[in-house]
Amino acid sequence: MTVIARRLAGHLARGFAMILVVTTISFVIIRSIPGDPMRARYEKLVEQGMSPDQAERATAALYGFMPKGTLWEQYADYMRGLLHLDLGQSLSVPGAEVTTLLASAATWTILPVLVGTLLSFAVGIIMGVYAAIKRSSKLGDVLAVSGSLLHGLPQYVLALLLSAVFTTLLPIFPTGGTADVTLEPGLNAAYIGSLIQYATMPVLTYALAGYGGWILAMKSSVVTVLGDDFIMAAELRGLKRGLIFRYVARNAILPLFTILALSLGLLFGGAIFIERIFTYPGLGLLLLNSITDRDYTLMGGAFLLITVAIVIANIVADMLYTAIDPRVRSGQEAS
Amino acid sequence: MKRLVAAAVSLCFAAVTAACGGGADGADSSASVGSAVFTTIDALKPGIDANAPINPYNPKGNTFRGYNAEWLGWTKNHLTDPDRFYPGVAKSWQIAPDRSSITIRLHPDGKWSDGRPITAEDVKFSIGLAYTQGGTAYALDPSAAGTASNIKIVDDKTIKITQTAENPSSAFVRGVMETVIVPKHVWGSVLPADFWERLKVAQSDAPGAEAARAGITSLAEKVIAFAPAQDVSAGPFVLKRVNPGEALLVKNRYFHNAANVAADQVRILNYTGNEQVWNYLVAGRLDSAPFTAVPAGVMRRIVQTQGNAVVRGYSPVSEALAFNQSRRPYDNVHVRRALAYLIDREQVTKVASPEGGTASVTTSGLHQEAAKAWLGDGFAALEPYRTDPARAERELRAAGMKKKDGRWTMPDGSPWKMTINVPASFSDWLAGAKAVTSQLNDAGIEAEVITSADYPLYLEEMAAGKYDLGFWLVALGPAPYNIYQRLYGAQNGWQLFGGKLTHVAPGTKGNWMGGAETVDLAGEGRINLGELTVKLNSAPEAEQKKIVSTLARAANQDLPVIQLWDYVNTQVVNTTRFSGFPGDDSDALRLTSGVWLQLGMVKRK
Repeated sequence: MTVIARRLAGHLARGFAMILVVTTISFVIIRSIPGDPMRARYEKLVEQGMSPDQAERATAALYGFMPKGTLWEQYADYMRGLLHLDLGQSLSVPGAEVTTLLASAATWTILPVLVGTLLSFAVGIIMGVYAAIKRSSKLGDVLAVSGSLLHGLPQYVLALLLSAVFTTLLPIFPTGGTADVTLEPGLNAAYIGSLIQYATMPVLTYALAGYGGWILAMKSSVVTVLGDDFIMAAELRGLKRGLIFRYVARNAILPLFTILALSLGLLFGGAIFIERIFTYPGLGLLLLNSITDRDYTLMGGAFLLITVAIVIANIVADMLYTAIDPRVRSGQEAS
Repeated sequence: MKRLVAAAVSLCFAAVTAACGGGADGADSSASVGSAVFTTIDALKPGIDANAPINPYNPKGNTFRGYNAEWLGWTKNHLTDPDRFYPGVAKSWQIAPDRSSITIRLHPDGKWSDGRPITAEDVKFSIGLAYTQGGTAYALDPSAAGTASNIKIVDDKTIKITQTAENPSSAFVRGVMETVIVPKHVWGSVLPADFWERLKVAQSDAPGAEAARAGITSLAEKVIAFAPAQDVSAGPFVLKRVNPGEALLVKNRYFHNAANVAADQVRILNYTGNEQVWNYLVAGRLDSAPFTAVPAGVMRRIVQTQGNAVVRGYSPVSEALAFNQSRRPYDNVHVRRALAYLIDREQVTKVASPEGGTASVTTSGLHQEAAKAWLGDGFAALEPYRTDPARAERELRAAGMKKKDGRWTMPDGSPWKMTINVPASFSDWLAGAKAVTSQLNDAGIEAEVITSADYPLYLEEMAAGKYDLGFWLVALGPAPYNIYQRLYGAQNGWQLFGGKLTHVAPGTKGNWMGGAETVDLAGEGRINLGELTVKLNSAPEAEQKKIVSTLARAANQDLPVIQLWDYVNTQVVNTTRFSGFPGDDSDALRLTSGVWLQLGMVKRK
């Protein structure tokens, strides 16, 4: 077995144990959340104008979907289901499989969060390199300030700001949703165009919110690398500026890959505020609604998905780092 | 790097493919893009879920009342009479004078959206489904009041439903008329072939009745989870497509009144919070929006949008500050009265619900509009509890409370700290509670607001008797039983099981109000409030009036709650594309715009 394979096996074993522990802890916590969702549903329906009798009827039958048995029995059922990749049925959408709901929401999270993250990463690292190289100039200052400002601005403030400007004051983009419902879904230009139009605001928010972090991290990394001996050696050897730039960028970007891989794992958690403000039905909004509805099975499924994604992202980050950094690889082989 | 990018691109591709798959698409479309489109939201269904079935029994089901979910009749918004309806699947109905039965005639040309006729068999089958869900008209317990005991198909388009003679209820007629009607030819497999025989056993005292009841109740889950392959609607619209952002419905060309339905398509937009509804309204996107709590500043911007107009009407709901009378000093009526005299309800309403409420004139358990209709001259005789600090001080002293250094203390001199609990997410309740505590602090009573994380937690803790005071909806009319059940029902100790009324001790079985079982009322002697409330279910109208008068005076005298504001049904319509919306105080205002469209009220411009 090679060093990398041994390392991977170790990661997978630890990851599996981690998932098991987190699943158990989250199961207990979820089942311990106080609150009577059915009573709350009844009161809401009454407030919305339904007669008490109708509201009673609309809620009473839902009790049948609540988990039954002791906590241990519920846990045993849950783990048995997990072995068969069965996360159970949703309580808030009775009859719907949790896996179906998660898969549907994941679609609307992966697309904008991934695009937003990659966009902010690409722009952030390029601007970060410039900010480091030009750190004594006005351009450097402007880039650094833009990074600090956007990094410090909470996501929901940014989302509200963009929403107010581009959907209300200048109604260029839709206020919410995923696509124009009148268009036939499919791989056709009109529908894809609509998907892009509806996703623009969430993507822009993700991208702007992430940009600040990337530019600051890259700038700091580049400044560190610029002081290394090999850069001085390259300059003394009279290498072209472009080549030196590549040396700097390739070495400075290494630590950011780890963060990027972890960010991709975290994207499965969705972005609750952004999704809520733009009514974008991703995993964050699903999780939020499941908590409000006390949909235990859906909450459990969402937490499991996030846990698995983060564990995998950690493993990928570690393996990737081993693969892309020859110093780490050669160090392991030597040991 | 390349691997990471490849993984990211693969994820993106998978997401795009899934997104392009779209949502449910289960209807025949007869309308084309570009025709008259009516845009709205469904207040009963915030959070559209494209994965939910096209099922009216499912809480997230993609059926929308008045559009593609059709009741026998649509209840009018009346101050006192719960048995007035607009036609739905039923064209006309005849209620027996003693409300013992209702004979329903369907529209002779009524058809499902697949072209098949709507028959009395469909209605009977839908009633069968309703039995699995329960409710007054469809209870399985033989001793329950107002249960439909006999369902007789008179002919293909006529059906007669009779309620149990032993234990009648005034809620029976409304219970029947609010039955959602689904097509038997689509739903037929959900009920077992011997369902009606099982029901007969379940509604009897025969051996095996309990098992039969359990069997029928267990069908509830099957009914709720049932997912028809496509929408077959009795309403004016049929679901064409739904995605996570909105639902698209197209006109049902077989609807009996299709020629007068002004819209060819309806878009129902998804929303997760009130602020999204405000944005839709400011942008002028909605042709109609049902009641949503709106701050005054936002309302000003909404009405500035071209075509937007505000319509206001009666809403049988009031907001009240409810006491836990098993806790000191709120067990003392003088303390409750003192608080009523100290709270300036006008100010509280101005802060909490300036657009959607009017300050309550007094506390009677009734919305002030309904109170005038029920009580007549008796309404003026009620104590109005106008702001009066001097009287409040007298009441507090009568309760034995003491004042030290300008602050009120308990009779034994220990500090009195009043806490009001509200759910954190209810901005109007929170604002109202803060306004109340601010006024009380100014009057020398140490008061604070404590928020609960969310509504389910609030209700659970309230039911467990953990709060001194909390906000509570009352006056849920028009049925008088429903109105007073909020004051003298389970939360105040009265439990009704199998037609038998009992009173449980405060702090047990959800009795968080902790009021006394009987009270002395001037001119009436000792009365049992819960018993009187239950009587409202079956009493004739004249007796109902007497009971309502007694209960209103009792609520006014003993103050189990202090009514703060009466809700006003404030809606926004946009007259740019359509006209003919119901006006102020219309009895159709609490119905969905789908009902307005199907009745032909709304016209295309």
